Amino acid sequence: MYWLSKRRYKIGLFIPSILLYTIFIIIPIGMAIGYSFTKYSGLGKPVFSGLANYRRLFKDTLFLRSLSNTMEMFIPAFLLLLIFSFLLALLLNKKIKGSDFAKSMIFSPAIIAPIICGIIWVYILDPNIGVINNVLEAIGASGLKQEWIGGDKLSPYSVAVIYFWQQLGYLTTIFIAGLKMIPGDIFEAAEIDGASEVQSIRYIVIPMMKSTISTVSILIITGVFKIFELVQQTTGGGPNHLSETLVTYSYSMTFASSDYGYGMSLATVTFIVSLVIVGIYSAIFKEKEV
Amino acid sequence: MSKKGKRKIYAVLILVITLLVVFPFFWMLMLAFKTNQEIMSDPLAFPKALSLENFKHAMETLDYLNLYKNTAQICILALLLELTCTFLSSFVLARMQFVNKKIPDMLFQYMIIGLSISPFILLFPVYRVDIALGIRGKWALIFAYAASSVSFNTLLLVNYLKQLPVEIDEAAIVDGCCIWQLIYKVILPMSKPVIATVVIFNVLYIWNEFPYASVMLRDVSDYTLSMGASFFKGTYTVDYGGIIASSVMIIIPELIFYGIFQKNIVEGMTAGAVKG
Repeated sequence: MYWLSKRRYKIGLFIPSILLYTIFIIIPIGMAIGYSFTKYSGLGKPVFSGLANYRRLFKDTLFLRSLSNTMEMFIPAFLLLLIFSFLLALLLNKKIKGSDFAKSMIFSPAIIAPIICGIIWVYILDPNIGVINNVLEAIGASGLKQEWIGGDKLSPYSVAVIYFWQQLGYLTTIFIAGLKMIPGDIFEAAEIDGASEVQSIRYIVIPMMKSTISTVSILIITGVFKIFELVQQTTGGGPNHLSETLVTYSYSMTFASSDYGYGMSLATVTFIVSLVIVGIYSAIFKEKEV
Repeated sequence: MSKKGKRKIYAVLILVITLLVVFPFFWMLMLAFKTNQEIMSDPLAFPKALSLENFKHAMETLDYLNLYKNTAQICILALLLELTCTFLSSFVLARMQFVNKKIPDMLFQYMIIGLSISPFILLFPVYRVDIALGIRGKWALIFAYAASSVSFNTLLLVNYLKQLPVEIDEAAIVDGCCIWQLIYKVILPMSKPVIATVVIFNVLYIWNEFPYASVMLRDVSDYTLSMGASFFKGTYTVDYGGIIASSVMIIIPELIFYGIFQKNIVEGMTAGAVKG
């Protein structure tokens, strides 16, 4: 190998990748941060405005609203997904007849375009033509009818449920892959020692799956901060931007309002918020390990 | 409770969960055959007659063949570009010798930063870069998609290439291989499994991607499938039947593809996550 490791080969083979990556990923990040310190409407040149955009953020009630919407979407999505995909993995790992087929069915929403997931769920959640409200009415429980989407309260939770539906099978499969890595004789030993099922989950499965649990958690955190199409299709951020999340609000400021500088400061903050949550998660998780 | 009884409960539970997950798909399929009138006035009823009106209307509005053609075109070109680039660069990082061992490590770290970058911070700046470079329409998407996959591909390819034994390269060199022959005839054929994973992962990503497409594509003739799905909402009257028929036409081939390559898709997607 030594003979072929000439410098010109190394450089020549490496350049296409690093150019592609630097031009379309790394430089744009710098540009985004740069634009976030400017006022720019797309016409003429961006004008440097210092921290004005960031100051505006904290006075912008819509930004604060979209931040709280994002959290209202994140917390239920995180808990539902982490708990239920883990339980479902335990259930599907029991080698019950038909569970392979069930697994492939439950996985299927994960391969569908998020935009189509959004469309499908409109027909389930819509207050007028959706399944849920119409079923409630048909069984005489009209009092329980809600504005699942399009109102000013429940939209973030509804989006969390759609995201749960979409990701459940995918994350379950990752947990199953983790479960398969635990050697079977440990369970046999535990069973002989008289451990109940709950005990063996608590004292064997969970401690041995720490790295899988953290993979799944980080996938959920980063995933929720990429939810866009689901909100776009179900509510479009409306009414009056009340159901915007950080991502959709920054998109709409950038591309609908052409307020590019402000839009980029929103995108930067969104990105930082997701990194902070990952950071908090890792800090807590590390502490527990000690 | 007896073991058998328990297993029965588990089986029922699995069945119920599966039905709940699949229900939205069935619902959508059923709605596609109802007229707009029926959807609005009696949402829960079964379609009175299997009306193909929605499909007809959707096909008159949008050229689906063209949507498929565009998506496939973008998919293939982006994959060719990214696989060529990242395979070669990963080969350098994983198998070539450096006097200073820190250099490949640092380059590797640099190449995988992208994994933690959200696409939404990139949309506008990448759009500006494309304007500056004169890249437009489909090509803007091809470069954006190829670049988005560099980090993921590097991670998978480098890890895979590193664990192939060094003796292979030595034997090939002793037999008189030049570097191209080594890469093309020896290493590439041995990398089929990891390339399959990378291809599946990226095909799904590109097929379903919407944010970049919504920013970069201006002409309807360049539209990809996900743009087609959002097309009907643009009109002022919400055409419920049209939207759903359109979605069905986009989703069915995807589900068939999943049915055929199911095992590979599930493996590919989870392998990516576990290694990431």
